[in-house]
Amino acid sequence: MDVATRGSKVFRGGIASRVGVAFALFAIIGPFLWILTASFKHQIAIYAGQFPFTPTLSNYVDVLAGRRSDFPGNIANSLIVASTSTALVLIAGTLAAYSLHRFRWPAWLGAGFLAWTLVFHMVPVLTLLGPWYVAFRELDLYDTRFALVLTHVTINLPMTVWLMRTFLREIPPEIVEAAQVDGCGPFDTFRRIVLPLALPGLIAAGILAFIFSWNEFPIALTLTSRATATVPVAIARFAQQYEIQYAQMAAAAVISTVPAVILMFLGQRFIVRGLTLGAVK
Amino acid sequence: MIPRNWVVGIVAAATVAFAMSAFAQKAFLDVGKQPDITILIGSTPWYPAYEKVVGLYEQQTGNHIKLDVTPFGNILEKARNAARSGQSPYDLMMLDTQWTIEFYEGGFLSPLTDIDPSFAMPKEVLTYGDSGYWNVQKRWRTANGGKLMAYTPLGNVQLLYYRSDVLKQAAIAPPKTWNDVMAACTKLAKPPSMYGFVARGEKGNGIRYDWQSLMLAEGANVVKDPEAGDYTVTINSPQAKAALDLYINLLKRCGPPNYGSLGQGDVIQLLATGKSALGDVVTAAFAGFEDSNKSAVVGKLETEPLPAGAGGAHGAVIGNWNAVVPKNTSDAQKKAALAYSRWFLTYDAQRAFAEAGGIPNRSDVYTSDLVKNPKYRWMPAYLETMKFARQELGYAEGAQVEQILGLRLNQALIGEMSSAKALNTAAREIEALFKKNDRHTGMLPALAE
Amino acid sequence: MRDAAGLTSASRAQRQPRGGIGAAINASFRYWSLLPAILIFAALTLYPLLNLMRMSVSTIDFVRGAEVWTFTPLRNLESLASDDVLRPAVVNTVVFVAVSVAFEMVLGVALAIAVAGLPRAKRIVRTLAILPILVPPVAIGSMWKLMYNYDFGIFNQALVAVGLMPVNWLGSTSIALASVIVVDIWHWVPFVFLILFAAVEGIPPDLIEAAHVDGASRWQTTRLVTLPLLRPAIVVAFLFRAILAFKVFDEVFLLTAGGPGTSTELVNLHLYKVFFEQNRLGYGALLSLAVIGAIVAFLLVSRRAALAIGRKS
Repeated sequence: MDVATRGSKVFRGGIASRVGVAFALFAIIGPFLWILTASFKHQIAIYAGQFPFTPTLSNYVDVLAGRRSDFPGNIANSLIVASTSTALVLIAGTLAAYSLHRFRWPAWLGAGFLAWTLVFHMVPVLTLLGPWYVAFRELDLYDTRFALVLTHVTINLPMTVWLMRTFLREIPPEIVEAAQVDGCGPFDTFRRIVLPLALPGLIAAGILAFIFSWNEFPIALTLTSRATATVPVAIARFAQQYEIQYAQMAAAAVISTVPAVILMFLGQRFIVRGLTLGAVK
Repeated sequence: MIPRNWVVGIVAAATVAFAMSAFAQKAFLDVGKQPDITILIGSTPWYPAYEKVVGLYEQQTGNHIKLDVTPFGNILEKARNAARSGQSPYDLMMLDTQWTIEFYEGGFLSPLTDIDPSFAMPKEVLTYGDSGYWNVQKRWRTANGGKLMAYTPLGNVQLLYYRSDVLKQAAIAPPKTWNDVMAACTKLAKPPSMYGFVARGEKGNGIRYDWQSLMLAEGANVVKDPEAGDYTVTINSPQAKAALDLYINLLKRCGPPNYGSLGQGDVIQLLATGKSALGDVVTAAFAGFEDSNKSAVVGKLETEPLPAGAGGAHGAVIGNWNAVVPKNTSDAQKKAALAYSRWFLTYDAQRAFAEAGGIPNRSDVYTSDLVKNPKYRWMPAYLETMKFARQELGYAEGAQVEQILGLRLNQALIGEMSSAKALNTAAREIEALFKKNDRHTGMLPALAE
Repeated sequence: MRDAAGLTSASRAQRQPRGGIGAAINASFRYWSLLPAILIFAALTLYPLLNLMRMSVSTIDFVRGAEVWTFTPLRNLESLASDDVLRPAVVNTVVFVAVSVAFEMVLGVALAIAVAGLPRAKRIVRTLAILPILVPPVAIGSMWKLMYNYDFGIFNQALVAVGLMPVNWLGSTSIALASVIVVDIWHWVPFVFLILFAAVEGIPPDLIEAAHVDGASRWQTTRLVTLPLLRPAIVVAFLFRAILAFKVFDEVFLLTAGGPGTSTELVNLHLYKVFFEQNRLGYGALLSLAVIGAIVAFLLVSRRAALAIGRKS
């Protein structure tokens, strides 16, 4: 019996637990379904809370193919920025977390780096916008996806490092020592033994980094203009001066979750296949 | 039989003429060949209309304009970033009226007459309280001794909207004074199916802006005479208290139970779904009310100029956009922005703007034959309101004063403090603020609480 | 005996790095593994952090298009002391963070353990369960505002349909903050769930089986075996969830704009007004530093409370 099935056997709860999960799923998905129905309504139907209502595809047409719509381009920008920054932050963050955990570093460097990332995470983002705008304009990187990727990596690095640190510490040290005894170098140990064992953590950290990058708004707004704008910036345009264009915003919100969901679903499978060729704990 | 090559020639000529007629529309104004410019503009209900007009400009003149549409909540940020660093990515920026002071005082802009001394505003263009002029000595926006810094591409003011069908059925005439509004709404309110009157009660800019129309109508003011440098705080006057009590009663008696959190979107929603008989809403919302996808009351809403107070005076606050040219862009592009602006301020361009759904800024468009079209039946009320509408909070401390007023007014509305206490507290806080900034200031005696 | 890559120790000996690149990489792994993170982080965070500290003791004015910095630490501190809106904002924020995070942690952990026990469909459930964090915050604020709408929102429509009175979700000073908290809980339970689920999947089933064999009930197993094993993940989830909760902005801004009165005025919202709307950069920077201090204080207090609870059980 493999790990997954045995795990579900030992944690199996009773009726109460299944009902709980069903209720939780309902509570979680409910509002999302509501947004979905809103995306097929005309604005007046949303205003009046009509149900039943006459459905329409005009909101989706408006968002995707409207004369002044850049939405497909915005999705492309978001995909590029989110995937790239997630990949980079996972690499940099996991390596750093493993390094801090595995090797002896002086306290000022090890604990200092961790504390610095944590403190930086506490800084309100809007105080960073000014300096970053100035810096990137000086470097002629304003309005580029590259600038956005760099800033997103920076923003997500604290959480990735801390998360991977937690998951890496769970790996029994005996396994690592055994590999060392067998003559495996530190990098090979990391690559062939540790990474596959840290898989669940990698997936969680990767999903979170991707989502935070995908939904990130203030930095994307400051560092981009029309050509490189990402999905959250595009959606914010529907929150206008006097009123919110709920119908189009709902459609845009639904569309925006689709690529993210697909990517994550596939991403999980890809990581699983890539790292656990016949893994047995 | 017509010779074959004649037929070909005629067909060819006709095709060319037809094609050219689509493009060679006579330009409203000949501005010559200009470099490309970029405009910073917000996501607003009138943006589609503006975009159409810009398209016309490109078609007629062959010049190109890039429009950077930004979410409304973030235009100020983008404008600031652009103005404060190196080379500005924008050549023309649209600033909401309360942001102009910061840019005028900070020296970020090029006065329009400095770019081209022959540039002059056509006399038909409405003045909008001189928000486009800046007098450096007085630190005040006035044409008297002020330099021309901006013009208004779109000027908003609120109007009194009413359901003509509901009022007719109850045999009530369209209200002309705020007391008329109170009488009408009390009669018409049948909650929860119909509310009598809706206006913004939301904390912050919402209640401040809407309440100030009543404040002005009752003859009250926030400060005594800022243009002359006298920043004595007069917000806690008996007239202001009367205005505040009136506003609170209107909302409490005739509004929905959640009057303390109504924003502009909520007010529009209540009117559009037919749930309110009267409302104080921006002119720009009119087009939405006439769209069957967005409104259940198409053709049923009419407009009146904002009502008068007890003394017969009307009050309204101007909320206009100002097109400014940043200092840190190239001279050629500044001239191009100005050339486009000249074109935009012509009668033909403004008429096209109105036809596309925007609010024109020239009085001759309001007195043209457009008014006869029921689609533009809001125009007379707008023009009339513009005659008495004023700019408010036109000083550097404007945003902070708005935060103070916005909180205290809301607290009075929801009953956390009496109207007298709210005004007294606000007056004290505003006076302290002015003192900190070395303004010549003082306070009225406190109202009895 | 095979390792993760399916190699036996014998075959691995044959595949030993042939010296050169492989050995060099392994030898210097210690350094180059930490380097990328430090480089990126240093490059992008030093300037903003130093700038922030400098701003907090200055007043910044703009004259003729140029920035003018004046050293005014006392003036900024005085602004901080005389800021009337700050006190209710701090109180509301602490209540908001404490209540939201508490609910999110409990619900997230419970959901993670429950889903781990599902016989199948785990990947689908995980994807569904994280939908709320996929929706952009702007859309969340707007859509929930519609749902909470007094006249037409779905909650009041449901209440009226069963004969109850509609509730003034966002317009009543006593309920508004709770309404905002509910939105936050809906938004972030998936975050805690995701982290804890990964941690639960990492628990060796033998440990749990052993407890069952020893006769422990399901609840006892959970409390005495599972939860302690999940402690590191719980700590990390709590840490980041608390910090993020202090930084909440979009949802509150769209739902209530801080009102009615001061009932939903939160520190980050106030900071936005000071920094952006009022353009007081110096004071805004000082306020940011104060917020960071408050977060640190909150975390330290939580740590002490958690240790106290741990000692009792």
